[in-house]
Amino acid sequence: MPLSREAIVEGLQSIVGPDAVVTDERILIESSVDNFRKLQNIFDVHTMPVPAAIVLPKDTQQVAEILRFADKNLVNVIPRTGATATEGGLESAVADSVIIDGSAMNKVVSIDAYNMQATAQCGVPLQVLEDLAREQGLTTGHSPQSKPVAHMGGLVATRSIGQFSTLYGGIEDMVVGLEAVFPGGQVTRIKNVPRRAAGPDIRHVVIGNEGALCFITEVTVKLFPYFPENNAFLGWTLKDMKTGFEVLRDVMVNGYKPSVARVYDPGDAGLHFSHFTAEDDCVLLFMAEGTAGIAKATVEGIAEIVAQHPECTPVDSAYIETWFNDLCWDASKITAEDERIRQTRNVNRTTEISADWSSINDIYQTAKARILAEIPDITMMGGHSSHSYINGTNMYFNYFFNVVGVGPEEETDKYYLPIIGIICEETLKRGGSIVHHHGIGKARAPWIKDEYGSSYYVLETLKKAFDPNGVMNVGTIFPK
Amino acid sequence: MRILASFKITPDYEALRPADWTADAADGPETRYVRRILNCFDESALELALRLTEALDGHAVAAELGALSIGGPEADGHLKTLQALGYRRTTRVDAGAALDFAPGVSAALIAAFVRRVDRSDLLLLGSRSGPGDSGIVPFLVAERLGWPCLPQVTDVEALPNGRVRATSAADDGLVRATLRLPCVLAVGNAAVSHLRVPTLTQRLACRDRPLDVVGAAALEVDVAAGLLREAGPASLEVIDRSRPGVVVGGATPREKAQALYEEHLKPLLEML
Amino acid sequence: MRVLAVLDGTSDAAERRARALGDFLSDGLTGDSCHETLVVYHDQRDRERLVALAPTRDLRLIRVPARRPDGVVESLTAAARATDAGLFLFPGDDAGTELAARLAARTGGAVLTQALSVEAAADRLICRRNVYSAHMVGRYDLSGSPSCVTTDASWDGAGWAPPAEHRVVADTDESAGADKPAFDDVELLEHPAASDLAESRFLVVAGNGAGTREGVDRIERAARRMGAEFGVTRPVAMSALAPLDRLIGVSGARSAPALCVTAGAYGAPAFFWGIEKAGFIVAITIDEAAPIAGNADAVVIDDAVSVVEELAEIVVAARRRG
Repeated sequence: MPLSREAIVEGLQSIVGPDAVVTDERILIESSVDNFRKLQNIFDVHTMPVPAAIVLPKDTQQVAEILRFADKNLVNVIPRTGATATEGGLESAVADSVIIDGSAMNKVVSIDAYNMQATAQCGVPLQVLEDLAREQGLTTGHSPQSKPVAHMGGLVATRSIGQFSTLYGGIEDMVVGLEAVFPGGQVTRIKNVPRRAAGPDIRHVVIGNEGALCFITEVTVKLFPYFPENNAFLGWTLKDMKTGFEVLRDVMVNGYKPSVARVYDPGDAGLHFSHFTAEDDCVLLFMAEGTAGIAKATVEGIAEIVAQHPECTPVDSAYIETWFNDLCWDASKITAEDERIRQTRNVNRTTEISADWSSINDIYQTAKARILAEIPDITMMGGHSSHSYINGTNMYFNYFFNVVGVGPEEETDKYYLPIIGIICEETLKRGGSIVHHHGIGKARAPWIKDEYGSSYYVLETLKKAFDPNGVMNVGTIFPK
Repeated sequence: MRILASFKITPDYEALRPADWTADAADGPETRYVRRILNCFDESALELALRLTEALDGHAVAAELGALSIGGPEADGHLKTLQALGYRRTTRVDAGAALDFAPGVSAALIAAFVRRVDRSDLLLLGSRSGPGDSGIVPFLVAERLGWPCLPQVTDVEALPNGRVRATSAADDGLVRATLRLPCVLAVGNAAVSHLRVPTLTQRLACRDRPLDVVGAAALEVDVAAGLLREAGPASLEVIDRSRPGVVVGGATPREKAQALYEEHLKPLLEML
Repeated sequence: MRVLAVLDGTSDAAERRARALGDFLSDGLTGDSCHETLVVYHDQRDRERLVALAPTRDLRLIRVPARRPDGVVESLTAAARATDAGLFLFPGDDAGTELAARLAARTGGAVLTQALSVEAAADRLICRRNVYSAHMVGRYDLSGSPSCVTTDASWDGAGWAPPAEHRVVADTDESAGADKPAFDDVELLEHPAASDLAESRFLVVAGNGAGTREGVDRIERAARRMGAEFGVTRPVAMSALAPLDRLIGVSGARSAPALCVTAGAYGAPAFFWGIEKAGFIVAITIDEAAPIAGNADAVVIDDAVSVVEELAEIVVAARRRG
């Protein structure tokens, strides 16, 4: 017998007190979606089940009690911190869900400059941690575009990646230890060690679980020295994406670690660089950082590699540096974009995948061609590669379309999901991954079995083991 | 009705950092590296013109839409976009020189274009634009053409009989007036602030349509002489508007608010 | 140099215009000059009131044919030919801007708008005005014949009073002539935005740091509770988080309150110009590198909505205690 909304609220209030339980109808309605269905909030048209409450625990103990309560009473919970998710992971897929919001757990526990580690509770905004680190001449090295708004818990739960990952790695390379609470209320602390071989690396059960297995309450991440004075930028224009991918591969295979290595196709380049590019130009750009010696060697090495491709024309690095300084989201850009969408009904969406070097250009060309042929009302179709490895890279498809002839709540069905479907199909065909860093969420959950093949066994067993009653974020990763 | 909307592309000055506005920038800041944007009031004018044309569609007095920009090739991308959106006439006037602080020359070129080439009878353009922000181009154009000008236009609508009505938020309050053509509408803080976006299909349909580029000489405007008369600022300076900026202490919003009140605001608030 | 201040009395804004002109004449215009006012009107019933408002002792009255810019410009053009005025001064509102521009065009003179100051030198006028959205101030040398200059909106004449005595040195009636309206069916929908913003003594301005419509609303509620007026920065208004008539800055209202609290504003010059004459400025921002932090008297680094709400509680409690 499912609990009533009132009973759920009462149960939560008895754990955290009434002040930490939000039941404002307006806020609950707006919390029923994340950026995946953001048009619902922008146009104030809502179709998703409304959560019963948002609860803000103040410590790990409260999280454990909430999870025990939810597990016992079969209440679906949705872990959340900064609420910047883009794939539906925070949507309430079933009625009377409870959002467990970790924002009140916002203490920076320690910044250890000798052991190069920082510990923060789940609700600490990354920008706050980064600013504190910078005061000591250090950096987390993690800079997703959502940095001003995202919190540490969510960044770990989604296996996020930042703009400087080619040097610093993704969040999985940065996490040292963490604390997480499982559905039965089990609190687990994974200690901070540089490396160990004491069985499988259980951190990876937590990192990327997207709230489908546990609630992350605290994380420890590595720190790096910060040498902004040595930052160097490089840029070229070229006509062919294939060449761009080749250059990226050469840079990675030769062991260089620029913090940023990107190639933009003409559509995407036009959005950012039209003040110095032609309509058919791709843009190749790099940023190097580190000690003076490292930055210099990186820049020289990359320049040497690009010089092997005479079709690349250098651009003044000041263009790249100026553009880079303006890249992160902030509240003002988000609200301005919301108003632009309201007035024009023109929506910008992204889908990012990864694949090996042999496949990436093929995936890019085929998916792009199919989208242009099969999807109506497209106003821009392009993308860029922004995270490279020795054995492959990502492709970040970036596209805009006008929402025509349907209400804003139908945008996902008419445009977004069909486009995601095309990209996923072409990627899976060639052995790539359907999601590089945004998380599976609920949006790409329909493809999860194709993504995993036989290894799905491992994933689903984790779910059965840790969340036997299926109360953790129904619909995320594992389709409903 | 032949509608013409005029727009200006400028560097995105707000993308420059505070350090770029130094006293050393005697000729203005270095703007080479920042992107170019459409002046926000002109953007409203372009979208309002489109909406007006749509509203008049099917009326006895149909409207035909044209766009004009005075400047270099940085405007061409926007002109192609406007073609894709249904602007039949798309023209760039190349003045051969920057007219940042020469509203008189800009106005002369616009008026000459309207009178000699375009023969339009309704002109929409933003009420002001950077870097000069003189706010007089619409009035100077109107004066040259002998037309009235409605300032601070916030909305334009088509009436059932094909006439056009505009709302103006100027000195006397919010005023609505029916237009007698020809006239100039200087667009101010309109609620409509974003230009719609054409599809790739729309862009493809006009990909090979050329843009018209007209030189100042063809319009019989002597830009050089005009720039001598309108020399622009003889010098530029950055004004020091800094104040002490005493940072208020405290660990929480409440503590900070308390400290702010006790240490700085109490006597002031008691007086107010 | 002879300066003619043009007081356009053909609409209700005459008093505001007189203040702007009077303020500028007394503190914004330097150098050797003599001043007269050209009072332009249409309705006979306005004569006495307009004479009393004139910002200079000596004035010339001109009755014009209709309440529209054209008639006024024709009369001014004639006056320019008849006198040897080197400078025609106008208030910097829309009507003043249009008159200055059209008069300069008709006479072949020079025009400069939004003057912060004018110095009458021997052979030219040295004018200063904001450029680049108030990031910089430009110095212009004007040598038109005549020069037509409008005042920056910062010249609002708060605290200025007209001279005690006036002398009408000329009185002409040029009202005969075809009354051809420029527009039809002119309807006043709303009176000008209340001067609550421009004349506020305590002002709270919400900027983008408020985040959402809810944040903006919360700041407004807190402002009202404290008895403050409420304004917003341009990005907030253009994101439809608040009505456009709350806008403060070069494209909106200007205010010189005794106390101004900015909540989540970045401090772009185009906004800051709107409050730069405030007595005491408090900046509440999460971003200590924001320009507003360097231009404020006191700075609070924290979430703007939370701090403003806490401040409102404290102020209200203090008032209750008496």
